[in-house]
Amino acid sequence: MSNADERFGRVSRRIGKLFRAVLFASTLAGILTLAVLLVYVANDAFQPLSADPGWHLVFLLTLVVPTVATGWWCYRRSYGTLATGLLGTVMPGIAALYAGGLAALFIDVIPTLVWLSFVIALAVPAGVVVALRRTDRSIPFLAELGAVLGVTAGSLLVVPGLVQGLPTVPADWMVLVLTLGLPEAFLLGRWIEGRWGRRDGWIAGAAILFGSAVGGVLGTATGFGAIPGVALTMFAAVPTALYVTIVLRERPERRIGLLLPAVIVGGALAGELLVGALGLTGPAAWVDWGFLTSTTQSGDPRSVGIYSGIVGTILLMFVVAAIAVPAGVGAAVYLEEYAPDTTFTRIIDVNISNLAGVPSVVYGLLGLGLFVRYAGQPTGTLLVGGATLALLVFPIVIISAREAIRAVPDSARQASYGMGATRWQTVKNVVLPRAFPGILTGTILALSRAIGETAPLLVIGAAQVFGIPDSWTSTIGAMPLQLYVWASTYASPAFYTTVLAAGIVVLLTAMLSMNSIAIYVRNHYEQR
Amino acid sequence: MSGDAATEGLTRRTQNSSRELLAKAFFFGCAALSVATTLSIIGLLVYEAAKFFTITAPLLGIDGPTATLTEFFTGSEWGLQGPNLGVMPLVAVTLMVTFGAGLIAIPLGVATALYLSEYASERARSYLKPALEILAGVPSIIYGIFAVAYITPVLDTLFGVDGLFNVASACIVVGIMILPMVASVSEDAMQAVPDDLRQAGYGMGATKYDVSTGIVVPAAASGIFSSFILALSRAIGETMAVTLAGGSLARSFDPTSLASYLSLFDPDSYLEPGMTMTAAMIQLLTGDVTGGGLAYRSLFAVGLVLFVITLGMNVLSDLIARRYQEEYQ
Repeated sequence: MSNADERFGRVSRRIGKLFRAVLFASTLAGILTLAVLLVYVANDAFQPLSADPGWHLVFLLTLVVPTVATGWWCYRRSYGTLATGLLGTVMPGIAALYAGGLAALFIDVIPTLVWLSFVIALAVPAGVVVALRRTDRSIPFLAELGAVLGVTAGSLLVVPGLVQGLPTVPADWMVLVLTLGLPEAFLLGRWIEGRWGRRDGWIAGAAILFGSAVGGVLGTATGFGAIPGVALTMFAAVPTALYVTIVLRERPERRIGLLLPAVIVGGALAGELLVGALGLTGPAAWVDWGFLTSTTQSGDPRSVGIYSGIVGTILLMFVVAAIAVPAGVGAAVYLEEYAPDTTFTRIIDVNISNLAGVPSVVYGLLGLGLFVRYAGQPTGTLLVGGATLALLVFPIVIISAREAIRAVPDSARQASYGMGATRWQTVKNVVLPRAFPGILTGTILALSRAIGETAPLLVIGAAQVFGIPDSWTSTIGAMPLQLYVWASTYASPAFYTTVLAAGIVVLLTAMLSMNSIAIYVRNHYEQR
Repeated sequence: MSGDAATEGLTRRTQNSSRELLAKAFFFGCAALSVATTLSIIGLLVYEAAKFFTITAPLLGIDGPTATLTEFFTGSEWGLQGPNLGVMPLVAVTLMVTFGAGLIAIPLGVATALYLSEYASERARSYLKPALEILAGVPSIIYGIFAVAYITPVLDTLFGVDGLFNVASACIVVGIMILPMVASVSEDAMQAVPDDLRQAGYGMGATKYDVSTGIVVPAAASGIFSSFILALSRAIGETMAVTLAGGSLARSFDPTSLASYLSLFDPDSYLEPGMTMTAAMIQLLTGDVTGGGLAYRSLFAVGLVLFVITLGMNVLSDLIARRYQEEYQ
């Protein structure tokens, strides 16, 4: 009897523990493999071992140790303090990245005068719309629509030619301040006015406008370039300043977290000065300014660069977003708000999930057949590539937009209908604004999927050698395409562990920056 | 009252005004675009592939080089110089890659799903799940470069491979790519198993190990199976990684002999280069693709085979998940 009792109470935990350990190891296996591969890539791209040991020591003492110490100290104060510091570090970096991309567009693709002419041409119909809204007379909707479309078409026909024929041409930075700085100053001014009052709004607006003009003048004077000067001021310096101000005014208990970015910047500068003074050489990294800005295509790893790929990818993403987002959100709105429960609706439903599983190379065939063979477009152009990638991400945008729309509570819709709103008014005023953060997150994630797609671009006949596109119909390059060309045309160990590693770092940086924006947007709005 | 401006303003916009109808038409058009996309994929692939085959080409008024169905489905060589138009050598390598990738992704994926669903703390999950998503998010071209630049040298020191390209490295990277899909779909299925079943197991004196393997996995079996099929169909359609890793040299494969099927499971054959269907499509594009020649049409014939296989697997996975789903109240 006592013997049986003993056995009943004792269960071997050895198998359970072993099983748990095996499961945990399997979970980590994939993640660790990727991590090891990324360490190899980083090592090849940055060549840290080629630097003097003294160089590492200097930066360890000026940058790494102070950063870790400050970060730890912030974390001990509160998690929020550390988060504030991290955001203050990452946000300016990502903002500068995107400002740089924008500057590249204005330097190499879109002449500022052309840009100005189209902005003015589109400002005319926008003004007409505002004027029509202000009038009290009721105009039939179709007449209003016709008028706006007519004015838009007329203005696009006439105004660009007029502006481009002007005898005196404004400087590059003036155009950017006028077309981008002014709207930014207005919008942020309005936003700050709502947050902190009228006076602050005006001050902020004026400061933004003045600051971007100063950025232009300084850029010209220092030889840094007027366009990058304005772009960096508007899209990196202004958001950073705004973030710092918000933290200082609204989160005083966390303001100490801003010490972290200050320590990082100060440490990097101090390290740079010390290294220069001591004459220590840094690593011979493959990711350097030359690699980012060179358009050379050759078999010499040291001379090639990824610049035309970067510009191509940025342009492609604009085209993809312009096509896939309205269509995808529209389809999601139809399925969630309008669709009756019919067979056709169910067909669309099943169809979308199947479309998301179609291999990307098949989308390439679709683009090749549809746009190149039957629509008669030339192979591998910006428009064809963008449209093909848009078809590829279309189902992804629909699925994520549907989720965002479904998350809008039904009570909000009922309230709107109860006030006598029509379906379209409910969609426009209630559903879409509430679903906007979710839609934005899904869109960014879809674009970050499109940014790495290579096969569809190859199938539509994108050129193996490409430059910087100058029109809708010039052949397009992209970062992943550039990687493929390097990997296939120059397939040699000399390319695989040097330039390709650097290319992977650039492509992954672009992707991860997009993903982190998406995650930030999601978390920011989930907290509300 | 009827002339009252306020009343008119309130009633003017009815559900059938032109504004409402235009909005509805736009949204409907967007939704219909998704159906149009599918229809154009199917129509285009079928139409262009029909021009490729001898049996259907005359119906479309095509004269020029074509391929017979026997050539296409039983030919043992692929290469347009011949031209040798057998698709099975390409399908065979695709199957090898899928098999090898599944060998890696299926055990690891199910184990990951089981750990995340049954063992991991909430905190561990919040770190592990995004990390797994990164595995799926890395572009396939980057995996291809990983395979050639970092995995092939390791395979070379372990087993000895010739040259830069081999099927084994393709299997490994594709396995890593599809692992998150197995893990996340299986985990969803395991999470859907009601807690009552687990509690009943514990009440009978079962250990956590017994509950996980004896209750959760069988109860979620349909979802786990459908995750396998979904992930394998992703592996079949995978393009850039296998193009770079496997190389662009078509193998010979005789679909009429049993021995050649057995060779698909021969470990040594994984250490040699091989071209999948998708890689062949990329390779074909170096030729004249817009001219509408034989190469162009064979592209669509191979694409059709690929599309039919992946669509069939997606539908099958959906069916399994639905039909064999255990119903709980």
